[in-house]
Amino acid sequence: MVSMELTPEQRESRLGWQLIAPCLGVIGLLIIYPILYNIYLSFFDVKLTGDKIFIGLANYERLLKDAAFYGSVLTTIIYLIGTVVGTTLVALLVALLMNIEFPLRSLVRTLILLPYFAPVISVVFGWQFIFDPVNGIYNHVMVEVLGLAAERHNLIGQPKTALFVVIVFDIWKHFPISYLLIVSKLQSINKDQYEAAAIDGYGPFGRFIHVTLPELYFVLGTLVILRLIWNLNKFEDVYLLAPNVQTLPIFTYYTAFTGIIDQGFAASISVVQFALLAFLIYFYVKKVLKW
Amino acid sequence: MNRKRSLLQNMLLTLAIVAVLFFCLFPFVQILSTSLKHQFDWGNPSLIPVKINLNAYKELLGFVQATEEQIPATVKKLLENPLITPEQREKILAKYRSTSDVFPFPRFFLNTFLLSASAASVSLALAVLGAYAFSRLRFGGRTIIQRSILFVYMVGGVLLMVPLYQMSVKVGLARTVWGSLLSLLLIYIIQTLPVSLYMLGNYFRTIPYSIEEAATTDGCSRLQSIFVIIIPLSVPMLVTVFVYCFIIAWNEFLFASVFLKQYHMFHTLPLALQSLFVSKNAIWDRIMAASMLTLIPVIVCFMFAMRNLSGGLAEGGVKE
Repeated sequence: MVSMELTPEQRESRLGWQLIAPCLGVIGLLIIYPILYNIYLSFFDVKLTGDKIFIGLANYERLLKDAAFYGSVLTTIIYLIGTVVGTTLVALLVALLMNIEFPLRSLVRTLILLPYFAPVISVVFGWQFIFDPVNGIYNHVMVEVLGLAAERHNLIGQPKTALFVVIVFDIWKHFPISYLLIVSKLQSINKDQYEAAAIDGYGPFGRFIHVTLPELYFVLGTLVILRLIWNLNKFEDVYLLAPNVQTLPIFTYYTAFTGIIDQGFAASISVVQFALLAFLIYFYVKKVLKW
Repeated sequence: MNRKRSLLQNMLLTLAIVAVLFFCLFPFVQILSTSLKHQFDWGNPSLIPVKINLNAYKELLGFVQATEEQIPATVKKLLENPLITPEQREKILAKYRSTSDVFPFPRFFLNTFLLSASAASVSLALAVLGAYAFSRLRFGGRTIIQRSILFVYMVGGVLLMVPLYQMSVKVGLARTVWGSLLSLLLIYIIQTLPVSLYMLGNYFRTIPYSIEEAATTDGCSRLQSIFVIIIPLSVPMLVTVFVYCFIIAWNEFLFASVFLKQYHMFHTLPLALQSLFVSKNAIWDRIMAASMLTLIPVIVCFMFAMRNLSGGLAEGGVKE
């Protein structure tokens, strides 16, 4: 038998490659190749039927002159800042709260994870209903109860206010996972450190600044960068709640599959977005994972 | 730390906890409440229905036929107008009929379930082998593979929508229903494979080598030891990863809309619910009931996998 001639190390190496090969094949064919193919397509005028005409950099030239593209970039930036800051802050506050002991804490801790695990599709319409101009509780509270607004508004109907609703929705949907990571770190902080800080004369706030925050620094940094990466790729959460909020993925989707279909142009938007993503991932790998 | 809290502190704490719970749970309560309300009750801010309405659930689950198509009074008046030709009348009626078409919820549920379960199974099977290779075997190129997997795990589906669609068109899969379904299945597999590899790889590393060594000295090959040692020891984690992949596929809308839009009977739940929502207005009870029914399996999975899930996620294996 051939394998008899191999050393144990060689056999191990060979088995390793054999076992990973199917995964590599699938990933290579359906992720790596499409990324490259996307770059290739961005130089063509691509028809839905698959026909292509080479047009060089024309897609990119058009992109640089396209006001809708800049609008979409701006929307994406506001969306990213709003959701990243919001998610992290809410998660931090809730984690600090859940670190205090109180009756039924484990039940409460489980319940607050629910928004994260609920399918987007099963909750977006609930949110639509809350902000519905006719039936929604939001308008009822704002107009009839608090009197903060003179009339009922269709918040999701207007792109500007819809962006705000989308940000709140995203915070609601995604803070639980950040909270989970922060709270597990909080629990690992040594109690002695707090006692030492208390002896040094720090109050609760001082202890938070000098003990808790430095310990959480790494987790918070990771969460911010990962949230940026994930939300840059978000499609469902935005599109299903408010199809008029055009972050980059939604802008690409409209260009590629609706109205005047232009898949080559859509490919060029994806390339720009990919470059941004690659930069963020590089940053994550270098600064956070420190490879 | 252990000192007693004052009354004021206790009140503030309670208030804060109630506020957080309200923020997290209110939308769910709203969905449940609206799904049980009659139309006249929708605008009522009270969450408790004046009169419980189970029709939406009955319709969705197929216990009763969908109610007569609801034609607005103005349109009815228009139809009574003798000047309207039968063809025009038929056209107007069809508009309402086509949208109030039966919503075969069980069918959509089954579509989504089969697709998600197959994708999660294939992904899990591939990932067990792959994760074993790069977490427990030494071979040249292992580090670079590990890093590439972390990289692709962060590349979202949105970046691949154009090339994957074009590839599917090119090989002819996008032309037929089954081809489209196959494309979708493959896409769900690759959307879940990197995260499965990542989570399982992290988990396999925590299994002590000594257990495997004992098995290999007993005459077990490395390959056999995966099935004899690693898999039985990782059952809770395998369940967790499966559930995780299942949920990713269960939620997916983007590619489902690209590939299945024209095949109504093959719609997945996200796609079906979205078309239901945009096709008609004022059917909040049905939409909310459908939302509840979509939510329930996930909550069941959630409770089932909860114990391991939070641990697995906290170790950094998360993907959205």
